[in-house]
Amino acid sequence: MKKPRVYATEGSIWKSILLTFPMILLILLFTAGGPPDLSTPEKSIAFLTTFFFLITLFFLILYTGKTDRYRAIGFVTLALFFALTFIVNLIKARGSMTFSQENLLACEIPFCHIVTTMIIIPAVITNSIIFPGSIIGGFASIASMLVIVIGVSLALGRGFCSWGCFYGGWDDGTSRLAHKPRIKKVNPVFRWFSFAVLLVIALISAMTLNPAYCDWLCPFKTVTEFEKVTSFSILMKTIVFLSLFVALVIILPVLTGKRFQCTTLCPMGALLSLTNKINAFDVRINKENCSSCEKCVKACPTLSLTAEDMTAGRPSITCMKCGKCIDACTKSAIHYHIKGTPNNKNYSWARNLFLYPAFLLLVVFLGGTMQSGIILLINLIKTGNLIY
Amino acid sequence: MGNSAGFLLGLSTGVVCLAYCGPVLVPYLMGEAKSIYGNIGSVILFLIGRLVAYLMIGLLSGIIGSRLLQLSALKPVFMGIIYILLAIMLVIYGLYRFQEICLGRSRLLGKKSTSRRWSFWLPMAGGFATGMNLCPPFLLAITESIKTGEIAGSILFFFTFFLGTTVYFIPLPFIGFFRRQQALRIIGKFAAILAGIIYLYKGIIMII
Repeated sequence: MKKPRVYATEGSIWKSILLTFPMILLILLFTAGGPPDLSTPEKSIAFLTTFFFLITLFFLILYTGKTDRYRAIGFVTLALFFALTFIVNLIKARGSMTFSQENLLACEIPFCHIVTTMIIIPAVITNSIIFPGSIIGGFASIASMLVIVIGVSLALGRGFCSWGCFYGGWDDGTSRLAHKPRIKKVNPVFRWFSFAVLLVIALISAMTLNPAYCDWLCPFKTVTEFEKVTSFSILMKTIVFLSLFVALVIILPVLTGKRFQCTTLCPMGALLSLTNKINAFDVRINKENCSSCEKCVKACPTLSLTAEDMTAGRPSITCMKCGKCIDACTKSAIHYHIKGTPNNKNYSWARNLFLYPAFLLLVVFLGGTMQSGIILLINLIKTGNLIY
Repeated sequence: MGNSAGFLLGLSTGVVCLAYCGPVLVPYLMGEAKSIYGNIGSVILFLIGRLVAYLMIGLLSGIIGSRLLQLSALKPVFMGIIYILLAIMLVIYGLYRFQEICLGRSRLLGKKSTSRRWSFWLPMAGGFATGMNLCPPFLLAITESIKTGEIAGSILFFFTFFLGTTVYFIPLPFIGFFRRQQALRIIGKFAAILAGIIYLYKGIIMII
């Protein structure tokens, strides 16, 4: 059965172009950062490809009414290009993906958003930041990342995990690899595991004054940077994070179709879930339209929808606002919603108002990363070498 | 200075003690989902366990004095054993009634009397094990207590040190305010298992 049209832009080219226009200006602003740099053929190709790629994605989201389908393309691209550019930059700066004790002592470790979960309690206890990075200035400074995290969590809540996180695209991508998941039912109780991780690593970090998750668990060290193996203890840590990457980012997402790392391990996801309570956007189920087919429950990549949640009319606080359940619903019973407004009206308004900040976040992170990545790939084709 | 030295030392370093006890006590309080009064009871039992450990160390430092510090070479092995004991306790607690609480399967593993015994001995044993944990403030307290040069003075020093650190445990029973949230109970159980695995790993690394 064909899904009824619910959004004003759906199927309408002119309305979609009209609403894409403000985003074109924003994309231009955030990808070029001023007049576009077209000084070399590589830079021109990189800029134009990124620019049109992003515009096309936004236009298709509006025109087709499918949010997750096109969001995921941009999101996975972000994860891949981020890893590529990050690793190449590291190799250029340090000669390898590993960091040494000297790099730690010199506070040269880039700060990622996940570390936020570990520095709060120690900062209260000791008045100091327990991470060997630079507070201001340099690449990925602590202050800049904290500002981003606070701003985004206020604007989108856990929407960050589906629209801006430069790691999330890994298991979002692998969870889509198998056409039909081998393991069809995953107990939704596992959605609370990341909260346990948050609790334990926050307390252990306060106890040891060391960012415990980065030190022991973070699976994304596999595709960014990791400590040079110089002792048995570091070897054990290396085995742990590699195993977690293989299990939670590759095998389990492929088998279940769920974003397993984001759902069960990421402490930042748990922290951002709490901010879902204080931002304006959420996802709601219109029970009058709902036929209880549970297609949304099967589609949800983060186990945030159960039969009980459907009865309650909203997903659990772990919802990442990716839009996959909305795309899956054939009755148009699920929709983005602005808190404080009626549940069964203004679907288009709520969706568009959510899409602008959410897609802009993707543009902010993907714009520069994709251009740098494309330049690297062009040089690889031209010279046969990624690091030039 | 007199007896106030121990109290002031405890008061000034108690946050660190709380940070060391948190990974054991907080998952337990969340997993039990007791009322605020019930949690006060659990925290008191935990603190009694800690007090027993402190008094034992106080007695030991009073008897053997500065030779206690000479045993510092054994610290990693001692701490490793303490961590492994804590790990076993946490994992067992995390798995106890796991199916019933986390997976919603009504398979009551223990009788009511077993449950009561658990809620009596577990916080006390946890308190004892964390009390034996040679955290930096605790090592400082040992050094200071040795200076008293007598058994009674040393024990009194540790008692007042314990009182000073206890102030920071006062907010913990208020976790009971959220006890109706079933998710918190599940998170507490998961957290106990996870903390247990981390302690086990730390313990093994310390020993080998």
